[in-house]
Amino acid sequence: MSLTSAPPTIASPPPGSRRSGIRRRSTRPRFAPYLFSAPAVLLYILFTLVPVVYTVWISFRAYRLQGSGIGGRRVDVFAGFDNYATVFSDSEMIAGFLRLLVYGLIAVPLTLGLALLFALLLDVPAARAKRFSRTAIFIPYAVPGIIAALMWGFMYLPSTSPFSYITRALGFGTIPFLESPGLFGSLANIAIWGGVGFNMIIIYTSLRSIPVELYESARLDGATETQMAFLIKIPLTRPALILTGVFSLIGALQLYAEPTTLKPLTSQITQTWAPLMTIYRDAFITDNLPAAAASSTVLALGTLAVSAVVLWLSSSRRKAGARS
Amino acid sequence: MRFRTLGTLGVSVILGTALLSGCSSSGGDTGKVTLEFWSWAPNTQKVVDAWNKANPDITVKYTDAGGGDDSSSKLLTASRAGNAPDLALVEYTTLPAMIVADVPADITSYTSDIKDAFTEGTWAQTTFDGAVYGIPQDVGPMSITYRQDIFQKFGIAVPKTWDDFKTAAEAVRTADPQAVIASIPPAEFGTFAGIAAQAGSKWWDVKDGKWTVGIADEKSLEVADYFQGLADAGLISTDPLLTPEYDKALNDGTMLSWPSALWAPGVLQSVTPDTAGSWAMAPLPQWTAGDTAVSYQGGSAVIVTKNSKHAEAAADFAKWYNASEEGVKMVLGTQNLYPAATAGQDLAKEQAPPALMPQQTDFYTQAAEISSNTTPVTWGPNVNLAKSVLTDALSKAITDKTPWRDAFIATQKAVIDDMTKNGFTVTNK
Repeated sequence: MSLTSAPPTIASPPPGSRRSGIRRRSTRPRFAPYLFSAPAVLLYILFTLVPVVYTVWISFRAYRLQGSGIGGRRVDVFAGFDNYATVFSDSEMIAGFLRLLVYGLIAVPLTLGLALLFALLLDVPAARAKRFSRTAIFIPYAVPGIIAALMWGFMYLPSTSPFSYITRALGFGTIPFLESPGLFGSLANIAIWGGVGFNMIIIYTSLRSIPVELYESARLDGATETQMAFLIKIPLTRPALILTGVFSLIGALQLYAEPTTLKPLTSQITQTWAPLMTIYRDAFITDNLPAAAASSTVLALGTLAVSAVVLWLSSSRRKAGARS
Repeated sequence: MRFRTLGTLGVSVILGTALLSGCSSSGGDTGKVTLEFWSWAPNTQKVVDAWNKANPDITVKYTDAGGGDDSSSKLLTASRAGNAPDLALVEYTTLPAMIVADVPADITSYTSDIKDAFTEGTWAQTTFDGAVYGIPQDVGPMSITYRQDIFQKFGIAVPKTWDDFKTAAEAVRTADPQAVIASIPPAEFGTFAGIAAQAGSKWWDVKDGKWTVGIADEKSLEVADYFQGLADAGLISTDPLLTPEYDKALNDGTMLSWPSALWAPGVLQSVTPDTAGSWAMAPLPQWTAGDTAVSYQGGSAVIVTKNSKHAEAAADFAKWYNASEEGVKMVLGTQNLYPAATAGQDLAKEQAPPALMPQQTDFYTQAAEISSNTTPVTWGPNVNLAKSVLTDALSKAITDKTPWRDAFIATQKAVIDDMTKNGFTVTNK
């Protein structure tokens, strides 16, 4: 609109006058923001929006037989909500989500709790060898997930496990790491081992940004280190705790690498143990890409919903806290 | 203006590429053809080199597409995108799934002259309703590979029937409580399918366009009961194969046999080379004493794809590779596979036994004998689904201590449901 109305007024001054300089300055900023954001927007459209739309589109398709017997051929047809109906009626898929819930209930609180504990301990003035400890706790995060899972896998297998070796020597027998109830703990352990360091760094960084004056006045009031941790540090690192909480939750929902790597080691982990494993199986083993697309869409929407609920709960609690 | 220039440039680039690719693919006019070939079998490049040297007009370009499972999903995707290779190696178990996805071409007209190069059972693996969709490359007639030294030490005879196998399993347990005769875990779909087929069960069958599924027929359920009996009595293990745990047991001499197929010695050799010389191969135990029929576990065929513009040239290569004397010699000697062609199996008799059992000099004579007694198997269009469901259901049955036969019944139901949903006509719903 401004482009069509502006020219008469701007065109009136003679060329070379000060006004033309203003004109150049005033049009440039209109164009520049788009130019600068173009690469990001384009990449986002190409590599996020287009694949998402394509996935949703595939989730409404299906390969169905036309013709009969071995003379028939499977062709791509519209299937409506068939694939979604299958996702919600598949008892294995639901069982997978329940297993994920148990795993998440172990992995998420323990990862966050330990990360917070280590960050607080490192932040205590009396702590020694801080730099070393921080690096030592962080290092497992640098180990690729698959390698970590393989390494732990060897430590879980009865004949190669050093833990089971010790318990056997003491007469307690082999620890059933890869049997049914223990399996959840064994899988969560790998994620906790790899995740604590990363979350600790985020919380620790947030702790370091708390003004020292607060501690000084607290000490003057006679607060102990424990009181300071609970009354100053934890409330002030809330944003970091929420952030790591949401990350850990999303990470738990995306459980795939650990069970897949341990699968060849135990019959307890099925091909449909976790939802993402079912998605992989459908897409790449049983040639049912549409079903995989539908499950992916459901999982993505579920993740979005869970994250939103967590963020909403934490913000409404903060508001309630501020009011009281 | 600038956009228009870019646009024109883009169009000319696309046209240029089209012209270039047009040139390369229209090479057929001059008589020269290039064929793409996907496989994963060892030393395929050497076989391809030998062909290219002898056939300058038909050049084969080989790509290692990864193992059976990986390459089958890649092949399906490539075929749907219209750029599948001209030729590909496909496992017998996934061939029907490929056929209904319209991947392989019907090569019946090119192959009438080589049908007799294979046993009837082998040829049946690539023939559906009278149409030929592939040329068999290697086969896995079922056999049992066992620790000859320990069997002898304990005074256990090589089991000839599955009843003998049970007796032998009990004898092993008595002689050494740490040892088991074998592990038959839920994931070994091929073993269960093969042993059920040996009992006379047909897990899939197609006639006049109608399918019959028999995963839970009476004979298969008896097979399920038999192995559950062994597992419940602690006579066999159900732990996964080829894990560090399993390999350790092989090396310790506490895992004494592997009922599978003729390729087992090669696999065992790679994980337990120190025990070479202590093993031997025997025909798989039978359900009825005196029977000789066994089924197959594993094996693959070369298909010509529908995408190929040079189907006849591609079929010529596949025929040379798998049915000519020169080709099967390389399948056997260079690739160390057990050839599907009977000529290759005869050639094998001259071959030294596998490194795992150098003392068993009649290995390949016995192998040819077993191979001549194989019964035809028909696989279905959703074998991978059946494999996944049976494995998971059996694992669950073992954990929950529920009957194994229920896992077979559940698999049968899942397979029929899936086929019906996909539009197949199944007669025994």
